[in-house]
Amino acid sequence: MSAPPVSEDQIRACLAERFDAPGLRLRGVERIAVGWSHETWLFDAVWADAGGEQVRPLCLRRDPGNALLRELSDLATQFRVLQCLDATAVPSPHPYFFEDDPTVLGAPFLVMEKVPGACPSPWGRDGRRFYEDAAARGVLPESFTDALIAIHTLDWRAAGLDFLGVPGGGNDFARREIAKWRRLMEATGAEPDPVLVDTLCWLDANAPSTPRLSLVHGAYRTGNFLVHDDRVSAVLDWETQVIGDPLYDVAYVLSELNREGTDLLSNLVERDAFFARYEAGTGLTIDEGVCRYYQVLYAARSAVFWMSASQLYASGENTDLRLARTAWSIPVVLDQAAKALGY
Amino acid sequence: MALAPDELLRSLAVALRQRIGPEVQEPFARTQAFMAAVILEKLAGQVANAAADDVAATAERAALVAELRAGAAGHATVLAAVDAVAADGGDAAWNGLVSALYAERDALGAPTFDRLLGRVRTALRARLDRALAYAS
Repeated sequence: MSAPPVSEDQIRACLAERFDAPGLRLRGVERIAVGWSHETWLFDAVWADAGGEQVRPLCLRRDPGNALLRELSDLATQFRVLQCLDATAVPSPHPYFFEDDPTVLGAPFLVMEKVPGACPSPWGRDGRRFYEDAAARGVLPESFTDALIAIHTLDWRAAGLDFLGVPGGGNDFARREIAKWRRLMEATGAEPDPVLVDTLCWLDANAPSTPRLSLVHGAYRTGNFLVHDDRVSAVLDWETQVIGDPLYDVAYVLSELNREGTDLLSNLVERDAFFARYEAGTGLTIDEGVCRYYQVLYAARSAVFWMSASQLYASGENTDLRLARTAWSIPVVLDQAAKALGY
Repeated sequence: MALAPDELLRSLAVALRQRIGPEVQEPFARTQAFMAAVILEKLAGQVANAAADDVAATAERAALVAELRAGAAGHATVLAAVDAVAADGGDAAWNGLVSALYAERDALGAPTFDRLLGRVRTALRARLDRALAYAS
């Protein structure tokens, strides 16, 4: 069920109370229409106190009630992850507060820092040009790799991230991840394509062991972080993070899924340079065989993701026709999985 | 003379893309108009080829069933799943067959499992190729 609309004045009144600033006003309000996840509002909260004018750049994310991946990650989890990352080397927005009470703004929401930077979509012409130019300058590719190194070398237990769930030994991580996406597939209520079922069975039967656990972002690519002064200013989209095999993220970086037809990883990083910098920064050796396994898992994930999206439309929960159109994306990702399995 | 269903769908797509969409000022509604055109074009292709696709699928399924009945003789769970595919070419029956093969993997033995799954995958590849004709 979708949440009722929220007005700027409701947001303003809420923040005035939270920041104890009766004269608080919103400046430069933007509602970002990217993605099918949570509603995102960007603005500056401005007020005056004894110290003069106060300006706080903020980002508000609200649960629209009919977003994708709600079964996997809610705003409470996202907020807690941001709290855990706040004093670490992982570039991330400072979280201010989370409100679970839907009577305040019609639905749960969180407020975090609006980090300076742009987030060009890697799928559009302008975004592709942006990343191509940044790749040529060479600073952002290194920053991209360094931010991933920061995620994978984080002491996640000390940061309190074990609340995400800690896999057992052996192949428990991969099996848990498969089970998670299988549950999401089943939650759609739709019959999956048999290629997807074959892929999930194959993944289960061939799950690799995980020798080292780290924080895993789960969707680390261009478009999921902010860029400021040619550097990653904040890693965003903390919706699929998990404690698991760092090669799960590396596999996504190496994937053909995100190259937009270029030879550059994630349309940004030269492959050899990424390998050298990442392995030096983490002390890990990239096992390309394991990465190929995780790429099959990403293909299955993508299929489930598109199933979830198209079912959101089919069920009437969300009337955005872009969701209906995703049904025709499922065969494309299943084709990648089938080829990886040899057919 | 009335338009065939696929031709009607294509003409609706053209109207949305060329005449209606460009007149819509509000960005989200405009995007929705163009997206509706994309969907109608895909549906038009599927409707136009539905009969031929169905004939191909039925023939492939019959050949697969015959081979699997011989290849899985003595394995009741797999044979029951094959019978389900013979009776119904829907996704649920195919999924039952794939799941049955994996569940019976040890009982079948690696060579038989690989041979039967390989045969099923050949059929799934053909299904997928038909779907890919309209995918993007």
